Amino acid sequence: MMRALALLALAGFILLPLAQAVILSLTATLPTGTVAEGSLGLTNYRNVLATPELRAAMVNSFVYVVLNVALCLAIALPAAYALARFRFTGDRHFLMAILVFRVTPPVVLSLPIFILFSRFGLVNTPVGIALVHCLFNLPVAIWILESFIRAVPREFDETAWLDGHSGPSFFFRHLIPQIAPGIGVAAFFCFIFSWVEVVFARILTVTGGKPITMAIQAMFGFQTDIGKVMAMTCLSLVPGVAMIWFVRRHLARGFTLRA
Amino acid sequence: MRPHDNRAWFLIAPACLLLALVGGLPLLAVVNYGFHDIFTLSDVHWVGVQWFADILGSDRFLASLGRSLLFSALALAIQVPLGIAVALLLMGCGRHAVWGLMLVALPLVVPWNMIPMLWLGLVQPQTGLIGPGLAALGFDWKFTGWHSWALILTMDTWHWLGLVVVLAYAGLSAIPPAFRQAAAIDGASRWSVFRHIELPRLGGALAIVFLLRFVDSFMIYTEAFAINAGGPQDATRFLSIELGEEIKGFSYGQAAARATLYFLIVLAVVWAFVAATRRREA
Repeated sequence: MMRALALLALAGFILLPLAQAVILSLTATLPTGTVAEGSLGLTNYRNVLATPELRAAMVNSFVYVVLNVALCLAIALPAAYALARFRFTGDRHFLMAILVFRVTPPVVLSLPIFILFSRFGLVNTPVGIALVHCLFNLPVAIWILESFIRAVPREFDETAWLDGHSGPSFFFRHLIPQIAPGIGVAAFFCFIFSWVEVVFARILTVTGGKPITMAIQAMFGFQTDIGKVMAMTCLSLVPGVAMIWFVRRHLARGFTLRA
Repeated sequence: MRPHDNRAWFLIAPACLLLALVGGLPLLAVVNYGFHDIFTLSDVHWVGVQWFADILGSDRFLASLGRSLLFSALALAIQVPLGIAVALLLMGCGRHAVWGLMLVALPLVVPWNMIPMLWLGLVQPQTGLIGPGLAALGFDWKFTGWHSWALILTMDTWHWLGLVVVLAYAGLSAIPPAFRQAAAIDGASRWSVFRHIELPRLGGALAIVFLLRFVDSFMIYTEAFAINAGGPQDATRFLSIELGEEIKGFSYGQAAARATLYFLIVLAVVWAFVAATRRREA
């Protein structure tokens, strides 16, 4: 009984702000020619999808998040394997270094990152954001993958080698299928941290390549159509919710401090 | 025991390269800028430690530092125990726990700049779902300092509880059932099972929770700024809000010096924390 009440309170606390957003997104908040203010309907969603900038923003966000996840996984996998299977000179320093990069506040680095990236022509492109988000996602991906690889016994590697698999073939044909849930969890955490990030996404998109977060920000003005803002927000939740659904069985593996 | 093999460096080399590019280089640059007065990128003058002396000697900095530390302390004191409690609650739900985990993970996928919008909409006195009720109770986050704090803390807890729950739940479910069975045979109370079996084995998961929640709450910007822009009367003027003002005001030299100081504070806390964790493990 107590448990049911506690769970109900928790659900209420979590869902209340989201319910507010959904309600607003279905309400016409600015009077227009055909729809009366305060009436319910899908007008806001239609308006969002009819706005080219907002459609472009969704594509931009999607491109850099997917790029970031792919990059993080490709680079974190060998590193995680090295940390899980070998000791080497400086391994603890490497762990400490990635921890430091993970906890460095983005706002501290925003200025030099902008200057550096504008020199390489990486401003206003999804590539720049995808690269810079590795700063906090790569460490998380390494931690998660390392714990999954560590859970696979060494004998597994040795059997594969005896079967004549080496290097890339071992990684792709044996290791990756074996730790697929880990890759899913790592992809999930990289995805959410990149999708919701604002500081880097703002400074690296001056004139173009605006992601969803900035497109929403740009909707605030003299006369803000808050219903449309909330419709956009609700749409921006869809990929994240889908990710949660895909990894729900493995979400509980989490990650721990490795230092 | 893992073999010692320095060829492993080939495997971590790409990670080192990438982190050097997006983390190492900018960090060096920001420290370097901190010692200069920057009008434009081609008009830069060496000023030594002047910015650092200015910042450290100002009362505003110390006041903001105090506020940020207090905010982090409150956020950790609320979110970590609450998160563990929810994780324990979900542990008792068997295979239905996955629904609870999905529920608490929801706020994690909301874009950060929309989180304050959701909460401002919720407490809006006329149209919010709980706004009229709160207004009737005299809640006024715009002009009453501690109400502003309460709103930001509630919002931050809403946002990050999921991370604490997921990681604590992961730690709890990694405990072999034999431990709990042994405790049950000994007739251990619920509290002593938690204190002597669960809590010690949560160490690794809680360590990362503490670190991540510390840095993110210590440097809270997007959410806090949108609620009240540091007001009322500087009551929610956190460290990052001062840094944001300097960047917006194009005082790049000061901003870089300030960023360096913030980084050093975070680094000191992380280092102390890791040193303590390693000593406990040894």
